[in-house]
Amino acid sequence: MVKIQEQAWIMEHEKLARQTYRLMLQSPEIAAAARAGQFAMVRLGDGLDPLLRRPFSFHRIFPKQGIIEILYRIVGRGTGKLSRIQVGDSLDVMGPLGNAFRLPSCDSSLVVLVAGGIGIAPFFALMQDLVGRPDASLHLFYGARSGDELLPPQLFDGLRVTVHRSTDDGSLGYCGRVTDLFQEFMGSALPRPDAVYSCGPLAMQYHVARWALNQGVDAQLSLESLMACGVGACLGCALPAIGADDPATDHYLHVCKDGPIFSPGSIQWQKIQMHRALPQTFLYN
Amino acid sequence: MAKDSNAPGASPDLSVQLGPLRLKNPVMAASGTFGYGEEYGAFADVEKLGAIVVKGISLEPRAGNPPPRLVETPAGLINAIGLENVGLDHFISGKLPYLHGKRVPVIVNIFGNRLEDYAELASRLDRVPGIAALEINISCPNVKQGGMLFGADPAMAASVVKAVRAATTLPLITKLTPNVTRIGDIAQAVEDAGTDIISCINTVAAMAVDIFSRRPKLANIVGGLSGPAIRPIALRCTYEVAAAVRCPVIGVGGIFDALDAMEFFLVGASAVQVGTANFVRPSATLEIIAGIERFLQVEGISRLQDYIGTLDTRCVFPFAEESCALGD
Repeated sequence: MVKIQEQAWIMEHEKLARQTYRLMLQSPEIAAAARAGQFAMVRLGDGLDPLLRRPFSFHRIFPKQGIIEILYRIVGRGTGKLSRIQVGDSLDVMGPLGNAFRLPSCDSSLVVLVAGGIGIAPFFALMQDLVGRPDASLHLFYGARSGDELLPPQLFDGLRVTVHRSTDDGSLGYCGRVTDLFQEFMGSALPRPDAVYSCGPLAMQYHVARWALNQGVDAQLSLESLMACGVGACLGCALPAIGADDPATDHYLHVCKDGPIFSPGSIQWQKIQMHRALPQTFLYN
Repeated sequence: MAKDSNAPGASPDLSVQLGPLRLKNPVMAASGTFGYGEEYGAFADVEKLGAIVVKGISLEPRAGNPPPRLVETPAGLINAIGLENVGLDHFISGKLPYLHGKRVPVIVNIFGNRLEDYAELASRLDRVPGIAALEINISCPNVKQGGMLFGADPAMAASVVKAVRAATTLPLITKLTPNVTRIGDIAQAVEDAGTDIISCINTVAAMAVDIFSRRPKLANIVGGLSGPAIRPIALRCTYEVAAAVRCPVIGVGGIFDALDAMEFFLVGASAVQVGTANFVRPSATLEIIAGIERFLQVEGISRLQDYIGTLDTRCVFPFAEESCALGD
């Protein structure tokens, strides 16, 4: 598979929601090779702080125009620095890395996406691919803590998607977790989906994974991890996996080379420590 | 210092002789940061490297430590990978062929829980063609057995080197940990035990915590720090080791550019390894090779060998160049 490192010019840098930005990059070689679900490792300036590249999924891909987009939320030093990048600056980008979403089979009639917060990012590239499938009906369950963290509705125009919104604080749409909204629909208003895609906080993905495993529905989860290299060299982005032979022995998958797209049954969820959401990290920015 | 004044444009000689090991240039990719070469194949031409040191290999495959395994700190990276690797058999059958297809010396980093593991690894690799040298890892801070336990004690470090020396005729590099009081003592012990070369340093034992969740940031609680943050520590260790032994020394630790590398040559390293920089710039090693060449050209030095270990330890007071001296 082609992997490229190129200097990408910033064409647009726009704030779309609270602490959420979209970067448009001129990166012709990567745009030509990238597929929905894959990611890029982006170097944030020339300095030593932050030291490492940061992984970002492709938000939208325009191969003909040679453009890729990244959607990110400010969560720490790296994304804080990224938010101060100006149009006309350039960034050193490596990609495309990792595996891609498998597109649903041609006879799929119902495709469901579940997105939590910035987990919406890779789904635009996926929806770009699905727009050409007029037979399938596409439903997106899209939740965030609060309404101002959700992308504005007009961004979904033309994507032929029905969006079901939820917020933890009830400020917009369904009040509660996006997985609760998703499960309510799955029990009643919507038939059994042919394909489910999920991206968001790990706890959210765990709910989707458990549901998909129980229902025997084909699901693809886009998972994330801290990464140093992004190419399978450092082995830092390990996730506990169901062992190939002996379930008692530890076995790990790596988000960068085995993922970032995983099937729910490949992850050993019990071994992942989940904890309460951390306080707003603007303290570090 | 030999200055070559008659050929300012000529290409300086970057080749180095490390005991029995001759390299076309002194820059290697450090173990654990370049995988088995293939991972970075799309981004850097491995054939340009002086050598590649592959990820540490044990007899049996190892799953490594539970995640999270990484945390970034100022100018540094703490890792607790736990020597995850494919094991010797799969390394030989599945990973080595790619590197054999490339014209680059392959150095195999070996690691064991017990003395006998090191010896068996060495004797089995001794029979595998196309291996330039072995690097004995007695310095990993992230495993419960073996690793740093061996490297922190001169007698134990020597016993590992002796066991490996008896099992192979391959050139031997021993990689030392900085997490000791007197690294020079360890260096002398492994030299006396028969190592041909010493590389230093492995990562510096370190820790990071989350003040909100009140949890460690690594599942292993502690890990090993690498990156520019440790470069001054690595430089000091290299200086002390080079002073303590007669065998060649490879400097490792936070080298990000050619000028960093020159510091290590100056204090006595005959070669360098580049680690964490590969993650940031996959072509870092190649840029460093080119940068060393440029430095030598500009300084009018025809052979890198002539620069190695030429540190004049009489410190010059800052801003006290003769041109601005007082009292004239």
